[in-house]
Amino acid sequence: MDGKDLTKKDKGAVESTRNLRQVVPVVDIYENNDEILLHAEMPGVTKDHITVNIDNGTLTLSGVRSLTRGGAAEWEEFGDVEYQRAFSVPQSIDVNKVNAELKDGILALHLPKSEAAKPRTVKIQAG
Amino acid sequence: MIARVSDIDRMFDAMGLFRGRFDRLFDEFNRSVGYAPGWSSVAGYPRTNLYDKGDHFEMVAEVPGLSKEDLNVKIQGNYLEISGKREIKVPEGYRVHRGERGSESFTRSLTLPADVDSGKVSATLRDGLLTLALPKSEAAKPRQISIK
Repeated sequence: MDGKDLTKKDKGAVESTRNLRQVVPVVDIYENNDEILLHAEMPGVTKDHITVNIDNGTLTLSGVRSLTRGGAAEWEEFGDVEYQRAFSVPQSIDVNKVNAELKDGILALHLPKSEAAKPRTVKIQAG
Repeated sequence: MIARVSDIDRMFDAMGLFRGRFDRLFDEFNRSVGYAPGWSSVAGYPRTNLYDKGDHFEMVAEVPGLSKEDLNVKIQGNYLEISGKREIKVPEGYRVHRGERGSESFTRSLTLPADVDSGKVSATLRDGLLTLALPKSEAAKPRQISIK
């Protein structure tokens, strides 16, 4: 019964054709007045294998790790995976200015807020 | 008593769910890749892979976000210890919405299948992976035996 549910869900997913194990990366999310900053842990993923997609208010992160192997494995505690996670982003994000950097296996994603969404201090005019 | 029986039924339902989860877990485990959620006690942190490449071992460890200053590797004979400290600092001026990555210090001791020459070990850190090349000690190296 449990299995039936799973098949139903899998049908719509593009990834069902791929045999790579999917893993949810852990993230930290920060915010200041100018942007939302996201840090995602993706050890072993190189920058060519990361895709960041923002569509219709949904941010999708995907990073594929393909490890180089050689010799006989004495033990293997981790392997090739696809790090994948989706977030909903507020309308106020300026999608064109989103940028990302990758350092030490951590993806840092900067999501700048559009001008209109930034907090403003209203000056009170002396009457 | 009847009430008890339905309790037991419910319990078995729950166990069925549990078993389904476990079955899948072992599937994942057999493929021996990636995270096995809830199964982390099998491996310590950081997780490692070890390959035997003939004259040396290659060890790869997952250490996302760590710089080389945060890591210590100690080797003696066939004993290897990886220790380090990970600190997550909130960037200045930012508020935290979600903090899933924790600060922690860790030590993991591993026993290698053979002695290594600790003087010739090299280590590289790239993309959050620490790679150690561990040359086997002379006695542990594979040898070609000539047949007389």
